[in-house]
Amino acid sequence: MKERINRTVLLAVLAFLIAAPWVLPAIGLDYWLDILAEIIIWSLFAASVNLLFGYVGLLSFGQALFFGMGMFGVAIGIAKLGLGFWPALGFGMTVSIGTAAVAGALAVRLTWHYFAIITVVFSLIFYFIALSAKPLTGGDDGTSFSMPAMLETGEFELSLTDPTVQYFFILAVAAAAYFLKHLIVKSPFGMALMAVRENDVRASLIGLNVYFLRWSAFVIAGGFAGLAGCLFALFGRYASATYMFYHVSGEGVVWTIIGGAGTLFGPAVGTALLIVVREELSNMWEHYPILVGLVVILTVIFAPKGLMGFWNALLDRLAPAPADRTTGDGRPGETPDASAVPAERRTGP
Amino acid sequence: MTAPMLRIADLTKRFGGLVALDGVTLDFESNVLHAIIGPNGAGKTTLFNVISGMLKSDSGTVQFRGKDISGMAPHRISRLGMSRSLQIKSVFDSMTVAENLWIAAQARQGVMHPFASRSRFGRTTERVDGILEQIGLTGLRDSPAGTLSYGDVALLEIGIALATEPSLLLLDEPICGMGPAETAETVEKIRHLAEEVDLIIIEHDMPVVFDLADRITVMAQGGVLARGTPDEIAKNAAVREAYLGDEEEEDDPDA
Repeated sequence: MKERINRTVLLAVLAFLIAAPWVLPAIGLDYWLDILAEIIIWSLFAASVNLLFGYVGLLSFGQALFFGMGMFGVAIGIAKLGLGFWPALGFGMTVSIGTAAVAGALAVRLTWHYFAIITVVFSLIFYFIALSAKPLTGGDDGTSFSMPAMLETGEFELSLTDPTVQYFFILAVAAAAYFLKHLIVKSPFGMALMAVRENDVRASLIGLNVYFLRWSAFVIAGGFAGLAGCLFALFGRYASATYMFYHVSGEGVVWTIIGGAGTLFGPAVGTALLIVVREELSNMWEHYPILVGLVVILTVIFAPKGLMGFWNALLDRLAPAPADRTTGDGRPGETPDASAVPAERRTGP
Repeated sequence: MTAPMLRIADLTKRFGGLVALDGVTLDFESNVLHAIIGPNGAGKTTLFNVISGMLKSDSGTVQFRGKDISGMAPHRISRLGMSRSLQIKSVFDSMTVAENLWIAAQARQGVMHPFASRSRFGRTTERVDGILEQIGLTGLRDSPAGTLSYGDVALLEIGIALATEPSLLLLDEPICGMGPAETAETVEKIRHLAEEVDLIIIEHDMPVVFDLADRITVMAQGGVLARGTPDEIAKNAAVREAYLGDEEEEDDPDA
């Protein structure tokens, strides 16, 4: 029952996202299409935070670094290296995943607050490098570029300069990434990650290479953040070091926690909610982040598994599952092990 | 004569000024149910921690079936077929009982497929069903491990260890904290297990040890005080004086 409701909601949301370029102008909300595109991109960024925090138990405040690497990869690729659309995207992904591979090799030697601190340190280092490497990054001004075509065959040209094409490109890439994340968390690898999150000592004793698993997750998460950065660069036609700052990482963490860490779609829900709140409130009340802070505190206290956890608990209450569940596997929007906060560390004597 | 199943030579481990293991040399033969006893702080758990790779010794070597495993990472040792349970029971709390066993069984394969659905690994699932049967937790297969009773967690611990298809199982106080009925049941299961895999257990419960073990090793102050059959140990004057003589039950974890 719960699975069926979640599946229906998911399909409804997907239908809305696909219809949005026609529905939104029809009800006089044209500019919301851009906001929707932004929400989709940042959901992907939150998915990166979630993969680490929700599934492996590593709280990173440095995912903005890889977001920024993706952004600059695309912008520098197009503006400085003269790359086309797809090569620039590939370059952005290579740069962000490469950075994650190197940074991860060091960072995942640490856990908990040490890990969180080192991720902040990494992102600060690269933030200042990006600011000072003016010839390459444009320093304070950032790097802007003009959009190359996605596809050119004779007369026909497909480019993100068309807002509808841009929107659908962003939606398709993000949907593919979310599908990949779904496959990962349902795979043996994903379960190994959860085992590491739950109990790293026990995980190593059953033969799991805890360091390698954490590193792999870090690299994949870096790829997700990098992909979000690439999309955001293409969306805004520029890259700026501001998006590498750890404030941006922190926003990803907040979105993830409010939406529900350790659930597939929780981060997207949190991102959508808080960006809508920002759009609606920031004009009326400049101190609106106070409200966001309050919501975070209330979520952590009353719904530690976030809105998704709250929603799933609600469904369980309203439509209890039959005693012998035989179909509990593989439903999006619901993971049987949605505990956000890893169990406290227990070490052997 | 072939090499013993497990050979420990001159193992020393210090924690600051405390000598937890003081040049311990021990051979454990195959097909014999070994028990290690000794007062708290004797170094029993430290010995297990060094053998299983959780701690590195300061000196000395550990050989497992002729292979030097000193200083190896725990996951490598586990893949060689050595499995252990922990004194303080710990499983994967928010995962179900079946998932706990599934990941342990799958971990033995080494490489973790990142994209295929878990349902595609039928052999692992079959193995999980077998172990659920063996440890008697089939009825609780879909319960989150965090909701189990203490005795069931202890059984699940043993199940997880078994799921990795070990040839040697190290059990650290497997019946600690169990009631009399659960104890009797678990002792029977351990006796069954010993027919399939080599077993070394650390246990404080003397009647259980003397009932189960073929060979007993008595440790005290980081060294080996005595070894022998239960009869020999019961008659050993040094052991009686150091250990069996005082009947007090202590339950704080040994260092």
